[in-house]
Parts: sequence; structure tokens; C-alpha cells
Amino acid sequence: MTSPSAAPAGAPVDVAAPAADERGPSPGRARRGSPGEALAAYTFLAPNLVLLGLFVLLPLAWAVWISTQDTDGFGAGTFVGADNYARLLSDGTFWRSVVNTTLFTAIVTPASMALGLGAAVLLDGALPARGFFRSVLILPMAVSGVATALIGVLVFDENSGVLDGIIRALGLPGVAWQSGGAAAFTSVVLVTLWWRVGFNMLIYLAALQGVGAHLYEAATLDGASAWQRFRYVTVPMVGPASFFLLVMNVIYSFQVFDIVFVMTGGGPRDATSVLVTYAYETGFVTRDQGYAAAIGVVLLLLTLAVTAVRWRTSRTRDLVE
Amino acid sequence: MDLTRRQLLGAAGALGLPAALAGCGGFSTSDGSSGGASGSADTLTFTTWGTDAEIAGLRAAVSRFEESSGATVSLNVVPYEQMFSNIDAQIQAGNPPDVFRVPYYTFGSYAGAGQLLDLSPHLESGFADRFTPQAWAAVQNGGSPYGVPHHTDTSAILLNLPALEAAGVTDIPTRLEDAWSWDDLAAVATTLRASLPDDQYPFAYNWQGNGVTRWLSWLFQADGRFLTEDLSGPAIDSEAGRAAVEFTQSFFTQGWVPPNDTVTSSTYAQDTWYAQTVPMVWSGAFSIPDAESTLDFEWGATFAPQRVRGGGDFGGNALVATAGTANPELAAALLASVTEEESMRQFCEGASLLPTRADLVEQGITFDVRPDLAPVFLGQASVVRAQDSAQVASPDMASIITVLQDQLEEAFVGGQDVATTAQGLSDGIADAVR
Repeated sequence: MTSPSAAPAGAPVDVAAPAADERGPSPGRARRGSPGEALAAYTFLAPNLVLLGLFVLLPLAWAVWISTQDTDGFGAGTFVGADNYARLLSDGTFWRSVVNTTLFTAIVTPASMALGLGAAVLLDGALPARGFFRSVLILPMAVSGVATALIGVLVFDENSGVLDGIIRALGLPGVAWQSGGAAAFTSVVLVTLWWRVGFNMLIYLAALQGVGAHLYEAATLDGASAWQRFRYVTVPMVGPASFFLLVMNVIYSFQVFDIVFVMTGGGPRDATSVLVTYAYETGFVTRDQGYAAAIGVVLLLLTLAVTAVRWRTSRTRDLVE
Repeated sequence: MDLTRRQLLGAAGALGLPAALAGCGGFSTSDGSSGGASGSADTLTFTTWGTDAEIAGLRAAVSRFEESSGATVSLNVVPYEQMFSNIDAQIQAGNPPDVFRVPYYTFGSYAGAGQLLDLSPHLESGFADRFTPQAWAAVQNGGSPYGVPHHTDTSAILLNLPALEAAGVTDIPTRLEDAWSWDDLAAVATTLRASLPDDQYPFAYNWQGNGVTRWLSWLFQADGRFLTEDLSGPAIDSEAGRAAVEFTQSFFTQGWVPPNDTVTSSTYAQDTWYAQTVPMVWSGAFSIPDAESTLDFEWGATFAPQRVRGGGDFGGNALVATAGTANPELAAALLASVTEEESMRQFCEGASLLPTRADLVEQGITFDVRPDLAPVFLGQASVVRAQDSAQVASPDMASIITVLQDQLEEAFVGGQDVATTAQGLSDGIADAVR
């Protein structure tokens, strides 16, 4: 173990408390390598650093610069300082998109992680046709976002969609999946979950392989119930995977575009408009590219803020057996 | 030869790097050449999208030009979804194609931003006379032509004939002068509403996505404008504008269209008609081949309704040359060549699209598929006026499209009243053209 105990007070077993001599060297006490080793390390890192700088950091800096311009993308823009950011403050569609994006993230992230963990635990056990069910859940990962969204349109089309067909066949009134704001938002969430749960399950399955059977055995001997073994052994021990998935899900959710764009186009009445679809509409339809870049920068800051908060508050991100 | 692992990895890296970098840059093309303006004196790059029939027509026209001029044209076919992000990126990188295809409602954005070649000095005297006035008006910017109108398309009504007959709707106009009035359309819709089950609707309208400009057909039918004559301000908050909003809003309140037939819907009106949720749909002629190969019921077409006058959307595409082309004379010659009578006839007949040449409009053309429907669409296109198409060529059309989408969505889905919607449209257009 390399982490302090993750078990809360009252836990029946203290499975995570490490012995002092098992702790690894802290970063501050890391052995300093020779100059030759450092050179080799930087040589190996250089290609990635160059690519990172060229294709991530440089475009980021460029986007920030564009966000200070009034430009349609053609020719030189006009420097307007922070005007684009000031415009955001009074833009109702922007705030609607912020709320939608946040709500989408707040629903999809925990739901996809919970469903993914549940599926992983189920499929980690001795379930019949385990391989088949794993494949079924992972399969959506192989489908592109646009194709997934097109499938979503077929399912949620309120005229001829599969779902409303079933609902009506049961004698119930059809749901306005496309013309009702709340229903449209729900349809986007459901399709995203279908698409993303497999990825979460896969990561959790991998994490579960690293949880030793002896921990469960010890907990069982101490009288822990199945729920307690899940809550106090499984959940803490997959902490690093949870941290990874949380960050990835938050980033994916803040960046959601293809599913919303294809399924609802942000409508009806901006009920499903999210920051990226709004930035796209602004940048490539209205051609207000400076303003669109400002929306993109705000999105980046929001993502960084959420990640930083979670980074500082996660106690189990580095927990390993 | 024995290879160490290090040698193997090194060799693989050396071989893979160029391929990886090639994958990062440039744009894929149909013939393997990269996009971008040509430097050679007798070579042009031409970027387009299109259906198979459209591309076949364009290739034939390009071959004809190559034979007559001795020049080489590199035709770069891209998916529509990538078309304008590619073009914009290439323009921003200073490496645009010499010639590209552009919808009329997008033309103004490029022309107004100074990205297109003013063809005035390169076209022969009287060149404009080969086109209909409404087509020529659609490629003007500041009084000069910045493109050639390659073809047009406009919306007529496609009909599920058995479904209409079953509902008792049999009096269907077969001549333009007999087209339904708005009141006639309302009566037909009311009849259909009364006879159709709850999950079916009288008709669907094709204003989804950028097709929101097709809402303007109702405005034109009411003899209204959305821009002033000099295109510098809004003119939509008028009796005609309010009538168009009120009538189209009633489609939803009366249950004449499916609730998801909104301007932002992901379900296109035509798919709703294919699924037989509606017996009538507004559609362009471009969909005829697809409908003919897809549908298993008897179908026909009739003219769009009229109010004060006939009106329709001036759809279709122009061909333009970029301002930075190294071969302006040659590019202009290509644009002139592909709008010659034979090339345009072959293109339009094969792809079920409408010509912009006055002589072809007068003579008529025969679609390869469902030739009986060509007169309906040609007749419908004839009611489009130059004053209508000139407005759609506004440099501010991109912003105006967003205003139309927002306000019509509020009216159709949110129930926003007519006066507020007309005022919102007017204010939004005023901001857009400012």
C-alpha cells in the first residue's frame, strides 16, 4: 500500500492501512539521476513534448488570442480586448448552455460511473455468458459518436421511432422526445449513457483484476456483508480508476458535441444547447469566430477548475494494493 | 539479415513518420492530389461536393472545358459535411482552391468578406443575359458578379396520392396558375386532419437546418421582404411578415404538421413523408431520384401555394473563383464553360436540378428520372423573383439564418405571439446587418 487508510470510521475491516515500511519513496526523496540519465529521459520525452506543444499548447494560446478579436475568420481581425468575454455575461443562450452543460455533466458522470462499476462487478463474477455480456456492453465504444446519435434519432424519433412505437403500443401517450425540452434532454442523456457505460465498465473491470481475493476473504472472515465488502473494499480499491474515470467523464461531458448536434441540434428552444454546440454555431454558422473562441476558453477554464477541485479532494486517486 | 530490436523500431519509426505527418496535414481528395490553389498557369483546382449524378455532370463539364482550353482541372470531391470547414481552413491558410461550389445563401458570406474573385473584368459583354434575372441577382455583391449561378432548385409539394385520395383530396393543381391559395391549403389541411389518425399529420415543411431560408417562401408569397432594397436594414416587420408568421405558426397550433417538424429538428421533413406520417411534403427536385428508388406508393407533385403572388426559395448552388487564384482568366473561363447550354442541360437533367440559363428555362428540360415532374419544378422556379433571390445573397445571410431559426423556434415551439416574433425578427436582422 502506498496510501493512508481510505476506510472510514466504523468500517469493519481496516484493509487499507499500510505499514510504514511498505511506503514508497516520496517525490521529495527521489534519487537524483545522473546528467546522462536526465538527457536520455528528455530525449525520450522530446517527441511527445514537441507534439504536445505543436498540437495542443500552441492552438490553445492561439484560441485565447482569437478570443480577443472581432473576426469572421477571414483576414486580420480587430483587437477588442475582453469585449467578447463581456458579451458572454449578457448572452442568455450562453448561460443556458452553461446550465445545460453542467446539468448534463452532473447527471452523466456519476450515472455512467455507477452503471459501469455495477456492470463491472457483475461481470467480474462467475456469470454465465460473461464474455457475451461484456462484449455487448463494450460494443457501443466501437461505434462513432455520430453513428450513435443517428441510432438515437431512430429510437427517439417521435413520429416513427422505436421507443414511442412501443409506448403507444402499450396504450400510453407518446413522449415528445424531439419537441419537448425536458424529454429531448433526457434522450440525449440516455444515448450518452448507452455509449459511455461500456468504457467505464472496461476501466473498472481492469481495476478489479488488481484487487486481491485475500482482501475479500479477510473482510468475509471479519463478518462483512456483501454490501460492506463492496463499499469498504471494492470502492476504495478502485479509487484510482474512479479518479481517472471522473476526470475523463467530466472532460467528455463538457466537450459533448456530436450526440447533441445530430440528435437535437441544441433544440428545442436551446433546451439541449451545450457549450460546444453553441461555440460551433457561433463560430461556423454565424461566423463570429472571436466570440466562439471566447466560449471555448471558458469551457477550458471550467474543465480545468472541476479537474483541479477533484484532484485536491480525491483521497484515493493513488491508492494501490 | 539480422535486425536488432532497436534497428527494427528505428526503421519502423522512419517509415511511419512521413505517413503519420501526411495524415495530419492537407485534405484528402478524390484523385489523391492535395487541395489548394494551383501555381501552374494552365491548371485549376476545383473543390465541390455532390451526389453521384451531380459529380458525373460536373466531370463531363470539366472534361469538355479541358478539351477546349487545353487546361487541366483537378476536381476535388469532398463530403458536404467537410466542404466549408475545409474551404474556410484553406482560405485562412492562404491556400484555397481556384474554384469551388457554394449554396446561394452562403455565397454572400464569402463575397462580402472579399474572398471571391470579381468576375466583371473577366466575363464577356452580355454574359449576364444567358441567365434568368433571379439567378443572376443571386451572385451579385455590391453590384458586381462574384460567381455564376450553376443551377437552382426550389420547393414544390410532393404528394402521397393514395393517401390523399383516401382522405377525399382529389382536386390537385396541375397548372401553376391553379396553385392553391393559402386558404385552399388550409382547407385541404383541415380535411386531412379530420380524416387522419392522431399520429399522422397533413403535411411537413422542409425548413430544418439551413433550410430555414425556405420559410421565406411564405414571406415572398405574401409579397413581403426581409431586407430593404439596398439590403442595409430589416423590412420584415410588415403586414406580409406578420401574415407569414401567423400562417406558419398555425401549422403547429392546428396540428397540420408533426410537433417535431420544427426548424431545429433532426428529423427532416422528407423522412417524415417517406415514413407515411404525412401525405404531403415540401421538397426540392433533387430528391426525385431518391424518392423514386425508395417509395413503394404512387406519388406526384404539385405547386407550392400562393397568396398575393407565387413565391419560392431560390435554392441551389453557385460556382465561384477565389480572390487569390493565380489564374483568374482561366478560372473565369471555367465558370463560363460549365454554364454553357450543353453542360448545364446534362448536369440538370441527370441530377434532377433546375437550370439557371434563360434559354433552358424557356425550352424546358427533361429529368432522367420522373420526367413528368420537371414542368412542376420549372414552373415553381419561375415564380421566384430577382428581388427575392437578391436578398438571400446578402453578405449577412449567415447571421440572418440564426435569427430566423431562433425566432421561428420561439413562435412554433414556444408559442411566442406573432407581433413579438415579427419584432424579434426585425431586431435580429437589424443587428445582423449592422
